[in-house]
This record gives sequence, structure tokens and C-alpha cells, in this order.
Amino acid sequence: MEIKYGLISSDSHGQLGKDAYTSRMSGSKWGDRIPHVVEVREEKFAHAVERWVVHGEIQGGNVCNCPTAMANRKYYPQRWEEVPLEVYDPAHRLKALDRDRVDAEVLFPNGPGGTFFYDDADFELACVRAYNDALAEFRQVSERFVPLAVLPFMSPIETIVAEAERAVEAGHMGINMLADPSVAAKGLKSLGDPFWQPLWDACQQLGVGVHLHASAGLAGQLSLPRWEGFTRRQSHCVSTLRNFCTATQIIPFLIFSGMLEQFPRLNWVFAETGLGWVSSVLEACDHEWQKRHLWSEGLITRPSELFRRQIFVDFWFETVGVQLRDYIGVDNILWESDFPHITSTYPTSWDAVEHSLAGVPTADREKILFGNAARLYRLI
Amino acid sequence: MNIQNSKYGLISADDHVQEHPEVWTSRMSKQKWGDGIPHVITEPDGSECWVAGGRRVSLPGVAIAGALMGDPQREPRRWDEVPPMAYDPAERLKAMDLDRVDYSVLYPIVGGLAAESFGKLEDPDLELACVQAYNDWLIEEWASISPRFVPQCIVPIWPMERTVAEIKRAVAKGHKGVIYPASPMELRAVPHVNEPAYDPLWGICEDLNVPLCFHAGASPRIQMRPGPGFSPAVAAAFSGVVRSVSSIAVLANFLFSRVLYRFPNLKVVFAESSLGWGAYEIEYADYQSAADGLESEGYSLKPSELFRRQCYFTCWYDRASLRVRKYLGTSNILWSTNFPLANSTWPSSRRHIDASFGGLPDDERREILFDNAAKLYSL
Repeated sequence: MEIKYGLISSDSHGQLGKDAYTSRMSGSKWGDRIPHVVEVREEKFAHAVERWVVHGEIQGGNVCNCPTAMANRKYYPQRWEEVPLEVYDPAHRLKALDRDRVDAEVLFPNGPGGTFFYDDADFELACVRAYNDALAEFRQVSERFVPLAVLPFMSPIETIVAEAERAVEAGHMGINMLADPSVAAKGLKSLGDPFWQPLWDACQQLGVGVHLHASAGLAGQLSLPRWEGFTRRQSHCVSTLRNFCTATQIIPFLIFSGMLEQFPRLNWVFAETGLGWVSSVLEACDHEWQKRHLWSEGLITRPSELFRRQIFVDFWFETVGVQLRDYIGVDNILWESDFPHITSTYPTSWDAVEHSLAGVPTADREKILFGNAARLYRLI
Repeated sequence: MNIQNSKYGLISADDHVQEHPEVWTSRMSKQKWGDGIPHVITEPDGSECWVAGGRRVSLPGVAIAGALMGDPQREPRRWDEVPPMAYDPAERLKAMDLDRVDYSVLYPIVGGLAAESFGKLEDPDLELACVQAYNDWLIEEWASISPRFVPQCIVPIWPMERTVAEIKRAVAKGHKGVIYPASPMELRAVPHVNEPAYDPLWGICEDLNVPLCFHAGASPRIQMRPGPGFSPAVAAAFSGVVRSVSSIAVLANFLFSRVLYRFPNLKVVFAESSLGWGAYEIEYADYQSAADGLESEGYSLKPSELFRRQCYFTCWYDRASLRVRKYLGTSNILWSTNFPLANSTWPSSRRHIDASFGGLPDDERREILFDNAAKLYSL
């Protein structure tokens, strides 16, 4: 693809249209369980609002998580007609990309998407397929969209692998993974379990990376017990802020479990986790490796070398990590806009870019802003 | 204190004392507490471990002294293997001289790296007795030997009247800091640490001008467990890394709990942290609180301003991170050797420091290595 602006967002959120599931899933088989938008009454609203409902469960708060696409950047749409076309219609979404002067964007899920844990593996698989088919259509509209597949985690591993292969065939360029599936749903195996090895093998063969977004499902786990006394805003601050706690622990897990050594050409991408913490985590891993002579325990490669060989990390607003880029690995850094979520830099992403990259030489700038992403996803 | 009063120019703001087997048995009534008293038992395989209140104390062996063991993958399995520099204060002074450390700020081991062990006991009377024995021992057997030891008390986590009374008692005896596990509600059924019920704790530390110390590792829940296939050495390495970063969750909670607002003279130490993630978390906190519009809820100070006014990080081998020290504030960084843990820089701390501090101006180097801690602990 052509790089016109010199900026690729490695973490944006692709919203599916409200008929994405109903038009793709069997009505006779799944009926009202199919994800769809319904009108509901909520106490704090005078008028009826609309919500997604999946398997009979109403998804609360709003009908689409896209405040930065709204005129009022703190407003979450309450009815579907309020949701801008730029959020869910790929042809219109290209206009949002141009407005923000972004060449391409990697599409993580927006609700409902990602996981479908309703104690029913067949239902999950049907939803996953509908999601992957619908999102793949973004790429049929334009190669500026880089879709990431979701997986039927509750299925046997052969089914999971088959869906990953099917999705990649359809145009997906990576998979979404959970930091610890065993925490996310009953009966699933933890990340380090050999159960997942056929998936790592398949992704390595297919040349697509494994993506973990923000807390990757561990938010509730790696945090202090919730305090009821926080206001909604305080609570959101605290929960958002500690999301990167997952990546700071999963990266050492990937290193010390030997998984990176075992699948040496498999890439892992950490989205919406920032950068500034990476050098201290790598220093800690190297320090422990050195102090405890872990090469004698089968971990032959220095941890920071493993990181630089196989792991990518995203940032959006920060300056700390950019200043530490040589200690992180300038080839391992990706930029993201997080469109259309509340912390997104849209539509003034270049202001954020200039703030973060002040004083960074051109060669590094180009790698960070688009070169690394173009290489990872083989876009140019 | 200024640099002239020091021989080496280094205060280690986070070291650990190894409690010897008679710390509690010699100070607590056998008649009253029986086998509840913390003591060492022998396992069927010949190894030894600590028990307190009828439960095993969670330690990799009978002591933590990896830095002294010669073999970096080994911790002592029997008390007779524990090197005296871990538990004998006269020997410890020699270890400090070897590593050219002037003062050593002391955290427990059996009492919990984050002083969390006794908060787990069901019986608050037993908890208090264990805590008091530790605090008495540290003054009687360590602080009285040399002013180079900086003793910090541990406390009963609840009820607050007891917490406050013990802090007063301990500080009067010479303790210079208060170690409190950052997530007491995970140790036993007590209120959430953000509740106003804890105000007496913050208040007494402020009044007595002693820092409140949250050491990493207070909540096992926020640390990922090693994988089932990890060897003991790899598991220990992994735990060493994740213990430090688990404080990310503690700092996130504390920055927004309003405790720092309400107690503007309270000083808080995040021990065994690390600069890099701290600098990022502080920048992120400022960004996120602006995005969420927190100024409309009366936050007149940004998280970074609160941090710089009242908080400290302790580091021990960070290299890259010192380059972004301005995000935390040079006055908010303490150095340490983390002796005698396996990942300690002892006995070559000076080599690590030279590698970390290359290019830093002398005055900033002195602040971080000595002056900040000297001021904080009124040495």
C-alpha cells in the first residue's frame, strides 16, 4: 500500500454494524441470542435508549464505545442513530483516517466483539465466525484496514486453529489473545499450557502475530480489590492506569516460560500498554537471568534479546518511552491512535505525535510511526 | 546530614533482616501462645521452615539469603546453612563495609517482605504479640548495636487503635519508618485501605514525621504465578520481576484514593519498585486524569504533583530509567542494594551504581544515593 501521511495506528477499534451478526448467523438456530441492538429503558434516561444484547445479556453503558468520534468527546452514544458512520462503515471510516492523516489502522474489537463467553461453545463459534467475516470485509473495502481475528476459545484446539487459518485466508493479519484464558472463562487452559501450542505453531507458520490488548482480560485479576467509594471517573482512571500491569508480567512470563525460544519466529504484540515501563522490565529480566545463571536452566538467550526478536509494544500519548527507545528497541515500537476510544489522539494525532517525538531523528521517527508496523504486517 | 558525615556516600533504603529462630520464642509467652509463636520446624525431608499461628510462613526456605549463598540458585533449607551476615548484626556491618554502604534501612523477611505475614493471622492478639516481639528485637539486637541500621516497625493491620498505639510505641523506641502491607483487605477481613477508617494510620505517620512504606509483594493476587513447568530458579527469577511491577496496581489505587490530598505531609515509600514503570505510570496518570476530566471533581493537583510532593521510589539496578528521573523528581528517588536477596547488587553495588549513574551530575547522584534518604529518615 501507499504511505501518504507516514503514520499507522497499530491499535484502533473496529465497530461492526448493527446487522453484522443478525445477517450472518442462523436466525432459526440462534434466535434472540444473536448479538443485536434493542431498545431498553434505563432509569437515568427519560427516553428509551438502545443497547447491544448478546445471548440475552444487555451490554450496559452505551450502544457504542466511540466518544472521540462524537462532537462532545466525553459523550457515549445512547441510540444507534447517534453513532457516526465513520465508526462502523468502512467506506466512511476512510474519511476519518484522512481527517486524522493516518495511512492505515489495525482493528481490535469494539463491543460486542472480542469474547463471547456464554457457556456455549457452539454459540461462541458462530459469533466468532460472524465477527471475523464482517471485519474481513473492512479489508475488502480498503487495504488501509488491518483486521485482527477473534478466536473460539471454548472449542477444541483443532477448531481454534482452523478458525485462525480461515480468518487469515479471509484477510485477517493477526489474532486476538487473552493474557490468561483460564481466568477469563471456566475450563480454559492457561497461556503457558501445552494446549495452545498448535495455535502458536499455526500463527508462526501463517506469519501472523498474537495480539494482547490492554489488560487482555486480566484487569480484574491484577488489581487491588475495587473500592466502592470511587466516583465513576476516579474508578475509570484507576482501572485504565493499571491495565499495563498485565504486559509487565506477561512479557516476563513469555520469556521465562521458554515460549519465545520454542516459537522463535512468532511475534507478540502488546497494544495500549505504553512503552515507558519496558526498559525496566527488560532490565529486571536480564538482571535476574544474570544473577541466577538461568542459561544453565535452558534459557539460552538473554531476555532482552528475545524481546527485541519477537515482541512489539504500542504507545500513544507518552514521552517517557520514546526517550528510552534505545533501551527498548527502536524496531519494536509501534504508534497507535486508539480511535475511537476516550483516550484517543483523534482527530489531532499529529499534535500528539510531535509532542511525543520532539527531537527524535528522522530514521527513528519513521520506524516508530509507520515503518515497524508496515514490516510487522507486511503492508509495503 | 550531608555527605561529610558519611564514609561511603550510600544509604541502602531497602534491605532485609533475617529473623533468627529465637526472635519470637524468646519474647513471647509459651504458656499463652503455645505453638502459635513463630518458630522453625523440621520437615520430614530434613529441611526447615517457619510456622506462625499454626500456618507455614510463605518463604522459599527457612531464610532468604540468596546473595550470600555462593550458588545463585539456592536458598538455605536448614538454619545451619544460613550465612551469619543475614541474621547477625555485627556480621551485617561487615557486609555493609564490604559493599561500601553507610546506612541500611531494614525490612523483614519472616515478617513478610512487605510485612504481610502476621496480618494473615486469624487472632488479632497473636498478631499484636508477634509484631511487638519483632519491633522490640529489631531495636534491642540491631539498632542498639549501630546507628547505621535504620529500623522500621511493622504493625498490626487492624483495628486502627492498635495500629496507632504500636506505631507510637515503636517510634518512641527508635523506629524510623512504618511498614504497612498495601492491601490489608486481602490478608483478612478488614475494610478497604481507601476507607476513611484508615485515617488514623496516615495521621499518626504524618504527626510523628515517619515515612509509611509500601514494599512490593504485599498482595500475591496481583502477581502472576510462575508456570507449572518453571524450575525453582526460573520461578524465583520470574517472581522477582513481577513482585516489583505488581506495585503498579498499588500506585494506581493510591494516586486516586485522595489519601495524599488529605494528608499533605504524609511521606510514602514504594520500596522495591523501579523507576521506569513509575515514570510511565506518572505520565499516564496525568494524561488519563485529564482525559477523564478529574479536575471537575476537585483534583487541583495533578497526580505527578502529588507524587513529587509526597512519594518515593526505591531502585537498585535501574540503568535506563535514570534518564527519565525528571518524571518522578530527583528528590523522590532512593537507592538500595536489596541485601541479602538473590537479586541484590551486593557485594558489587558500586559497579552497578557506576553503570547506572554514568553521566549524572554529581549533585543529583549524591541526592539519590544519600541525601534523599538521610532527609526522609532524619539521619
